[in-house]
Amino acid sequence: MNLKKINIAHVRLISLYWSRYTVRSGSGLVYLMIALVFGLSVAHIIIMPVERLMALQKKQMGQENPQLIRKTIVDIGQPIIQFVLRIKSFEQVTKEAASLQPRLPNDTSNTSQSGNNTSGFDPWTNFLIEKKPALLSVIFLILIFGMPFVISFLAFNQISGDVQNHGLRYLLLRTERCNIFFGRFIGTALFSTAVIAMIVATITFYLGMKTRLYPAPDLAIWAVQGFLALAILMVPYIAVCSLISASVNSPFLSLVLAKVVIAGVLLMAILGGFAWKPAKYILYALPWGWQNNLLHPATVHWLGAVFASFAYTAFFLTLGYIRFETRDL
Amino acid sequence: MTNVVSIKELSKRFGRIQALNKVSFEIPSNSIFGLLGPNGAGKTTLFSIIADFLKADAGTIEVLGIDTRYISRLQGRLSILPQDAQFQRNVPILDQLVFFRLLAGRTKKQAREEVIHSLELVGLKSVAKRRASTLSHGMVKRLGIAQAFLGSPEVILLDEPTAGLDPASARQTRDLVKQLQQHATIAVSSHNLAEVQELCDHVAILDHGNLVLAGSVDEITRADREYNLSLSRPLQESELEKLTSIEGVRSIKMLSIPAARQSKQSTDYLITLNLSADHLDQDAVIAPVLRTLLDISVTPRKLTEGRSLETQFLEVTGAQSDSP
Repeated sequence: MNLKKINIAHVRLISLYWSRYTVRSGSGLVYLMIALVFGLSVAHIIIMPVERLMALQKKQMGQENPQLIRKTIVDIGQPIIQFVLRIKSFEQVTKEAASLQPRLPNDTSNTSQSGNNTSGFDPWTNFLIEKKPALLSVIFLILIFGMPFVISFLAFNQISGDVQNHGLRYLLLRTERCNIFFGRFIGTALFSTAVIAMIVATITFYLGMKTRLYPAPDLAIWAVQGFLALAILMVPYIAVCSLISASVNSPFLSLVLAKVVIAGVLLMAILGGFAWKPAKYILYALPWGWQNNLLHPATVHWLGAVFASFAYTAFFLTLGYIRFETRDL
Repeated sequence: MTNVVSIKELSKRFGRIQALNKVSFEIPSNSIFGLLGPNGAGKTTLFSIIADFLKADAGTIEVLGIDTRYISRLQGRLSILPQDAQFQRNVPILDQLVFFRLLAGRTKKQAREEVIHSLELVGLKSVAKRRASTLSHGMVKRLGIAQAFLGSPEVILLDEPTAGLDPASARQTRDLVKQLQQHATIAVSSHNLAEVQELCDHVAILDHGNLVLAGSVDEITRADREYNLSLSRPLQESELEKLTSIEGVRSIKMLSIPAARQSKQSTDYLITLNLSADHLDQDAVIAPVLRTLLDISVTPRKLTEGRSLETQFLEVTGAQSDSP
């Protein structure tokens, strides 16, 4: 790979042009809609029970019971967090969820106990539930799990569509192939980052204004960290899509392959792990094995996850670029 | 005359199909070069390799003395109208072309001015803000031509530039190409043989990936040595001998007229005059031929220089004429 050929001005122009017109190409619009629906639906599912409880408390008691609300949040968040962080198995989590009793607004019998319980959690769960706004933590964890499936709707068509309709040929005598490849990758990442910022800002704003459960500075700081985690996480998955998109001519095939690869690695690791334990390491073929660390309390783990994300990105981009540089267009 | 494009032993294979087989020829500077060939002859493949869209299996191409494997050194100097390449459907065409000029290092203002001028040349200024998806096929073709002419490149490759254009637009395009010849070398691939003969001064004919003929149009059509005469009646053997005896006439041949033509031009009878290669003044030969014809009460209806490119094309490619 000859990086000397990269023209920064061209990469900048191509990335800005690409991110500006991605929506018009269709894939950007589809991604925007799916990402918004997914992000806001997750937020709705997580926040709604708490909102309903708050409304019920106000109606029945004239005021909210913060301890009970907190307990409800822990009840909702803890199994999700522990499952996503793979601290507990799906079986354990469902068992615990089934043992939960429906609680009345004026029922405070378990609140003190629940407070003790949270301190008994592992440090990571405790950090996400106790130290940070728990509702936002749960939402971020689900988004970190789900967004890799969504990102391919945006990133699948970076190259393949223009190879199929020969549209790239208008560009090839005006700039180097590397500028097109990296420019479009950066443009896609910029667009993805903008959409994630929109989702996180909407959720945080709603949580802050409507529920008023957390102090605004705590909420804002955690929102920024969550946004960073999601934005960084998307980069290696976009790079995977860049590789696939640069390798096949059909945008549809590119989309299918992106879906199969991203979901396939996860499924193979989970299902393969049942039959043969070492198969679970297939997870590390993509950032699946590292990505939760982007919300880790220890800086060293967080930095490790960031480094892993960029390492995966560099690897997939290198493969994609070599393919794009040497192929017929 | 120096060569701006030099192609040597170029080969390209797609699976079992040999698209190009050791093709070699040159394109002289400031010429309009025609690349001819039946469907599947390898014309688009050849242009695509020159522009580095496709990688050659063997052989080399130099454009303006630069090996096209280092295609970036030709940025701004070489441009192409690719066949069947699509513009982004939902982006205004002005924005797309301005983007191309921004890549060439122009400011937004300069880029806009250049693009407007270019669109004006092809008659698309009024639709500059429309999306490519709303343009007709002919308009898209003209847009492709506009982008190829952007920035005054030294070598322009036009792959089927008039295909799909109405006669007026095709004429406009041909005029534009002729006009640009003063500043650039232009290579045109086309199926329209009459167009190539009118437009080009040099041609190469490809057939099944092989170069079957290359040279100046005059050489290929023997414009300086062969004349076709359309007459009011057929000539007797003695009349033919009389014409052949004129100084400078090497031979005269009565042409057999295809059945399809006979029905439409039943009063026309064609002869081909071959002039001696060493006789420099063609007029001094043609004038006595015409006089002799009039003396024997034969009216010359039409005189054309050289063979048609179509005749030559059909001869070298072994194809059948389907023209009426």
